[in-house]
Amino acid sequence: MTALKYPLASEIAALMKAAETRSAEVHSVDDLEKFRVEFLARKGGIAELFDKLKAVPNDQKPVLGKELNKLRSHVESLFEAMHHRLNSQSKKEEEIPDLTLPGRALPVGTLHPITQTLNDIAAIFTSMGFAVANGPEIEDDYHNFEALNFPPDHPARDMQDTFFISEKVLLRTHTSPVQIRVMEHQQPPIRVIMPGRVYRNEAISARSLSQFHQVEGLYVDRNVTFSELKGTLVAFAKEFYGSNIKYKFRPSFFPFTEPSLEMDITCFICSGKGCPMCKRTGWLEILGAGMVHPNVFRKVGYDSESVTGFAFGMGIERTTVLRHGIPDLRMLLENDVKFLEQF
Amino acid sequence: MRISFNWLRRYVGFTSTSEDAAQIITSAGLEVEKIEPLGKHLDRFVVGEVIAAEKHPNADKLTVCQVRVEGDSFNALQIVCGAPNVREGQKVAVGLVGATVPRNQHDANGKPFVLTKVKLRGVESNGMICSEYELGIGDDAQGILVLDGNAVVGTTLARHLGLDDTVFEIGVTPNRPDCLNHIGVARELAAATGAQLIFPEEINRAEAREEISQHLTVSVKNTADCPRYSAVMISDVRIGPSPSWLQNFLKAVGVRPINNVVDVTNFVMYELGQPLHAFDYQRIAGKKIVVQNATKGQRFITLDGKEHKLSENMLMICDAEKAVAVAGVMGGLNSEISEKTTSIVLESAYFSPTSIRRTSKQLGLSTDASQRFERGIDPNGTVIAVRRAAALIAEFAGGKILAGVIDIYPKEISAREILLRISRTNKILGTDLNAADIEKYLSSIAIQVKMESTSAADSIFVCTVPTFRPDLLEEIDLIEEVARLHGYNNIEDKMVSAIDFRNMHVTIAPVADAARSWFEANGFHETISNSMIDATTAEIFSPHTVRILNPLSNEMSVMRPSLLPSMLQNIFFNQNHGTKDLRLFEIGKIYEQRGANGGNDPVPGFHEEERLGICISGKKQLRTWYNEDRIVDIFDIKGIVESLFLKILLDKIRFIYYDSSSSLTVQTIGIEINGTYSGYLGKVSSTLLQRFQIENDVYVAEINLASIKEQGRSFKQFFQLSKFPSVLRDLAFLVPKKIFVHDIETEIFKSGGSLLKQVTLFDVYEGKNLPENVKSVAFSLHFVPEEKTLTDSEIDAATTKIAEAIGLKFGAELRRM
Repeated sequence: MTALKYPLASEIAALMKAAETRSAEVHSVDDLEKFRVEFLARKGGIAELFDKLKAVPNDQKPVLGKELNKLRSHVESLFEAMHHRLNSQSKKEEEIPDLTLPGRALPVGTLHPITQTLNDIAAIFTSMGFAVANGPEIEDDYHNFEALNFPPDHPARDMQDTFFISEKVLLRTHTSPVQIRVMEHQQPPIRVIMPGRVYRNEAISARSLSQFHQVEGLYVDRNVTFSELKGTLVAFAKEFYGSNIKYKFRPSFFPFTEPSLEMDITCFICSGKGCPMCKRTGWLEILGAGMVHPNVFRKVGYDSESVTGFAFGMGIERTTVLRHGIPDLRMLLENDVKFLEQF
Repeated sequence: MRISFNWLRRYVGFTSTSEDAAQIITSAGLEVEKIEPLGKHLDRFVVGEVIAAEKHPNADKLTVCQVRVEGDSFNALQIVCGAPNVREGQKVAVGLVGATVPRNQHDANGKPFVLTKVKLRGVESNGMICSEYELGIGDDAQGILVLDGNAVVGTTLARHLGLDDTVFEIGVTPNRPDCLNHIGVARELAAATGAQLIFPEEINRAEAREEISQHLTVSVKNTADCPRYSAVMISDVRIGPSPSWLQNFLKAVGVRPINNVVDVTNFVMYELGQPLHAFDYQRIAGKKIVVQNATKGQRFITLDGKEHKLSENMLMICDAEKAVAVAGVMGGLNSEISEKTTSIVLESAYFSPTSIRRTSKQLGLSTDASQRFERGIDPNGTVIAVRRAAALIAEFAGGKILAGVIDIYPKEISAREILLRISRTNKILGTDLNAADIEKYLSSIAIQVKMESTSAADSIFVCTVPTFRPDLLEEIDLIEEVARLHGYNNIEDKMVSAIDFRNMHVTIAPVADAARSWFEANGFHETISNSMIDATTAEIFSPHTVRILNPLSNEMSVMRPSLLPSMLQNIFFNQNHGTKDLRLFEIGKIYEQRGANGGNDPVPGFHEEERLGICISGKKQLRTWYNEDRIVDIFDIKGIVESLFLKILLDKIRFIYYDSSSSLTVQTIGIEINGTYSGYLGKVSSTLLQRFQIENDVYVAEINLASIKEQGRSFKQFFQLSKFPSVLRDLAFLVPKKIFVHDIETEIFKSGGSLLKQVTLFDVYEGKNLPENVKSVAFSLHFVPEEKTLTDSEIDAATTKIAEAIGLKFGAELRRM
């Protein structure tokens, strides 16, 4: 009682074999269409066999029907495979563009290298919990000098070093007056950085500008120490210049800090071997700092016994030319696009 | 300040190298900016002896010499010499093969050259016997330099001439006048190394029997400006050149040797820090010195031959008849030491720093002496210094030192006492130093330390500060000294405090930062320009400019009142450097003078405003294989401003379309933010372009960033997305040309109902097939339903309403699409 007893069974097997044979002969879309018409079309071989199935006794129908379905799905998958193969073949025959043509470009802009340096410095200090404060560039003598413990006849207060607008109004010579403005408006604890533009009455050359930028820092609280000043500066320098730098601190002098220091790091151009950039010393001076002078606290009405603090400052142009290897400070203000687009 | 390492070593038992010394001095706060080895140009020059000199066989003027340059005569060098004065037995300066002769006397410019082995008229020559000129140590080029008979053969010439020194160029900070001399620097080196400071011995010279008081009286009329005046006298001196060691010392520290008297005064100043002045006694009228103020308008000729007009606050040294010196600054031509001088008065005074600073500044005359007086010398060092100078002068110039010293010092300036708490020291420094450490450090720099009180809580020192340290005024100054001597690098680098956000006001600059990144992403270059511009240009932009009283130049004499001049300057610069297609922006301040009462400017009367400037010029896009090039126009700059405002979360902006243009820009559009005028955009006028010599059209925008910031931080609010399909309808109108698109758009919104969310202009057409004075404008209308799907008839009703409204308002005609 097997299906094979019936002629339809052998017809199914024959058609399966024919389809296999014919599929090997399909080489073009036309061949494929002939194949489809022969087997899969409404009047094709498979449909014909389905018609014959109707005449088969009922008890045989399930077995033969199953065989027929198997045949149909096999032939369909043959067809799909051939269709896919021919399709991808025909795509390959399409014309391929010259892929070496340049892509359709999007415009590329740049931030000024000074902005980039400022942003990097600010990012480090803000991550340490420093806020950002700003102050005016046209400043009065009191905030720029007097409150910062500059004696009345200090050479910096001279016309030779400072641009004056009137007798008591000037272009700030450093960002330090912002320290005073912050402390006048706020009680400790204070932790701020103060970036900005400053002015000096200096002849413009490859090594000096009459207008440049600084970042000032100030930290005032009950127990701020010199040791912590050093720790903070080291943390900054390692983050900004690289964790493998060597550093040293030297005593220095600023009227508004005491003790005062300057910080040197190993020259990152020559790794401390000595090069023109570091004047062959292997060291680069990167910033000045110190503990806020008690006279400064007195000026802003703080109790200089109970609070202590530190302040630091660094020049942005110098840092910028050092890290990009720019040979002439003046290039920073020329705004030549051929220069700007390098950074 | 130049310091001789050889001399430094005399005052400190220091045996290490000059590099080590420089490093130690730098760590002590006296930054050695340059180390200059003096004899370096005399490398490979030695002392030689001419052991044989014979005439050259083939040349009349040449001599063939055998020159011994080391102990052994067998290795003598054969050198052909052209000098007429070469003789057997002379000690001479020999340049060995390979030496660089500093000056070539056969070259017009005296260019240096390297010695090689040569044959001169057939005779081999292995070096050169040099003249003073060739060595660069004198001007005599006539013959060779003949050295002293005692010169040791084989010694380097630098050593023989006393030029084997190293000079430190030290940047002495203004608070350390005590280090403007060798003893002061030596004291720091001694303190840092634990070595002994060796003070120069007082040379005891017999004094003459005659008393100085028989020959000279001194009266000080202004003891406030001249707290101390000391003087000695020396008679029977012979003015002449100083010994070579003294000349070498002065040259090393950068002072020109003059004569044995003046050189000694300079030497003592560089050694001990006390400026001295020598007067020719014969030229002091009335045997009398009076220290008093000048009279107004008085004229005086200083040593340098320049005439000065004096004012009455200047302190002068006078004799019975006339002024002979500007106190502490410079002597007068009328009492200068000359070859004829036989008796001298040596002045050693302490003048008030303020007085000297004022005089020096008013006269525009700054000298080694005035620089020291104005920073503050030791008031208690005048007599020691003047005695030392007198002894040295007597030694070099002969002469008799008169007995006694005149010393007018009415009110002694005594050492200052300062209390120092150990607890405070450690609190400031973050250290754990004990009393013994602190005492050791302070006494190493001559500060006397005495324990005042000690308790469990604290110990307090009384510190007596020597008068040569005018910078040490209060406790914090002593704490710095402790830190310095302990060594900054020996203090631990700590970061103690946890981050503390109490009371922190974080100012975020979201607007400027967001704008910067938007510009960067859109192909703009950021510029940073000089805020100082020229006055004439500045006045075009504002009548209220801020002028600099003492500008560097006219080109930088006024603070910019607008970013526009900076931007045009940048365009000009780039145009001249071959870049004409530009997209630039700048965020920077502008400055204006305002009434002192108005506003809340930090410095009343001066207004600063942070602005954003944008400028574009040339081609918007370059010609590529996929694009034609196109020159920018007003709609580029307008689009930039519109997109930027979308980006920086600002929608309360309105454009104001002016009827007229200013002299600065044409096609100007005003920008209003939150109802406040905040800037403009436009095309730069041709007059302005001509002024800046710019060839291409430039489009600019300038916006006050403060008016954006005032909005505070704003966050875009979410709105519910529609679940129903939105509908697009296009409408085109024929309208009179003079009707503004913006007005039509406004009217469409007004009449379109609440479901109309967006109106996009997609076509503007004038010309062929249209009547004159008529244009076609086509809009795409975007309806978004809220509650249900819209039917065609609902949309038709809406568009009809719009068409009617536009028709009515502008006389427009709906165009069939």
